Amino acid sequence: MTKIRKYAPFTRAGIMESVTYRANFLFFLLGEIMKCFVMFFVWKAVFQSSSQETLYGFSYDNMVVYLFISFLSGYITYSDGSYAIGKEILDGSVVMRMIKPIDFDMCFLFQELGNKIISFSLIFLPITAGVEIYRFVINGRLMLQLPMLFLFLLSMVLAYGINFYFNLSYGFLAFFLKNLWGTDIIKGAVVDFLSGATVPLAFMGAFGQVLQFLPFASLSYTPVMIYMGMYDLPHILFYLGLQIFWLVIFALISKLVLRLAMKRLVVHGG
Amino acid sequence: MRKYLRLHRIFIAQDLKKLMEYKVDFLLGAIGFVLVQAVKVLTLGIMFAAIPALTYKEGGVVVDSWTFNEVLFIYGFSLIPKGIDHLLFDNLWGMGYWVVAKGDFDKYLTRPVNSWFYVLTEKFCVDAFGDLFVGVVLVLYSVLSMPAEIAADINWLRLIPVALVMPFAIMIYTSVKTGTAAISFWTKRSGHITHMCYMTNEFASYPTKIYNRFIKTFITYILPFALTAYYPAIYILRGESVWSLGVTVGVSVILFLLSQLIWKLGVKAYESAGS
Repeated sequence: MTKIRKYAPFTRAGIMESVTYRANFLFFLLGEIMKCFVMFFVWKAVFQSSSQETLYGFSYDNMVVYLFISFLSGYITYSDGSYAIGKEILDGSVVMRMIKPIDFDMCFLFQELGNKIISFSLIFLPITAGVEIYRFVINGRLMLQLPMLFLFLLSMVLAYGINFYFNLSYGFLAFFLKNLWGTDIIKGAVVDFLSGATVPLAFMGAFGQVLQFLPFASLSYTPVMIYMGMYDLPHILFYLGLQIFWLVIFALISKLVLRLAMKRLVVHGG
Repeated sequence: MRKYLRLHRIFIAQDLKKLMEYKVDFLLGAIGFVLVQAVKVLTLGIMFAAIPALTYKEGGVVVDSWTFNEVLFIYGFSLIPKGIDHLLFDNLWGMGYWVVAKGDFDKYLTRPVNSWFYVLTEKFCVDAFGDLFVGVVLVLYSVLSMPAEIAADINWLRLIPVALVMPFAIMIYTSVKTGTAAISFWTKRSGHITHMCYMTNEFASYPTKIYNRFIKTFITYILPFALTAYYPAIYILRGESVWSLGVTVGVSVILFLLSQLIWKLGVKAYESAGS
């Protein structure tokens, strides 16, 4: 309880920051969601070109739901700790955090939570409502099941946790590479592909089967498949368990890397 | 004019020196851009594994279709004008994100050169070699591995008009960036507006016919990125859409003048941060 009180100001700062820049956020979002609409048309042509109604178990309207929900979950579970921390390490301002009686990772976490509250409230409703209206028009009935929605939200929270610790660990690479821009783009591209954010893992055959067990699938594929109702209950429980497993692993890795990195940290002046 | 060309050369030389200094940064940035494109190409490959060719139907009738090689060609081609703009004129991005907001634009006003030209050419963005590399490789690969009956439609003489129109295609990118960056003179920050408009280019990398009428019109005349990608590419491949070459010149000149106007008005409205 005292812990929450200690870090609540960071969340408040995060909220204020997001509210101040909400117009920027919306423009950025519109730019990003353009990619979904491009793929909406490309997949439409792909499904029209096929003699079958479904490809690898996905119908066209499944695919549309997949595109937008994976965009949504990608956006909400995104964590840019790697960039923020890397920048502080390079310019030395990280010492200001280290001399205070707070946990390094916790203040990032709580600050980002503030951002997330705003972005969640701005985009969750429009996108899910849009997707559900689309499904309602196609199928003639409401497709969303409330239990699935709750499991989806739970899975997204876990995905965010994994993302957060994964990025924290990755951010410390800045120590060794002294480069943020390039390494961040590389990470983004690789994670996007391996997590199924660009193409559902089901389309990748045996390789996709293997990917389902890797932490990347836990970042995006698992919550989206739960939302779409593609998994039955035993599968859902299994993949949620897997998410918890990866969350613990990455939390431990980040603690370890943090300790190693702090030993190497040299700040000149600052 | 000669003074400006000389200045541009000096700026490029400066950035190449920087490149030699920070080799790892360059390498990682370029690898990053190559990987981003590689993921997209893989995505296309996975899609085409399920279908013989991408077809567009209207009312159940096949209107047009493109083989994997043709789609790769269009995709690769789209990266070339985009990459050249990225290579030469990337500096415009900074305007809307921080230059104006911090009051750093003062610097450009105090030099005896056109402020737009100075911002435009100050930085030479070597990361773009990643995009250009992938673009050229995709174009070459798609042509070389093309089935003979499709390759037979290509007439390499068509490269000449496309090359002539290329500067205008690049100017479409540059003008969109200029016009939206200049909004920051009034609003302090406009980087996200630039981002939003720029991202429309994603539509241009695929056959334009697959989109609905609204998007088709939008990417041909309003934010005309299709003129930089699908139209010239399909013209090289099949000799279709000759009209688009003329439209490219016309539309890009209009866009250019418009973006210059916004810039000029913006510079007048600019107020420094006062520090």
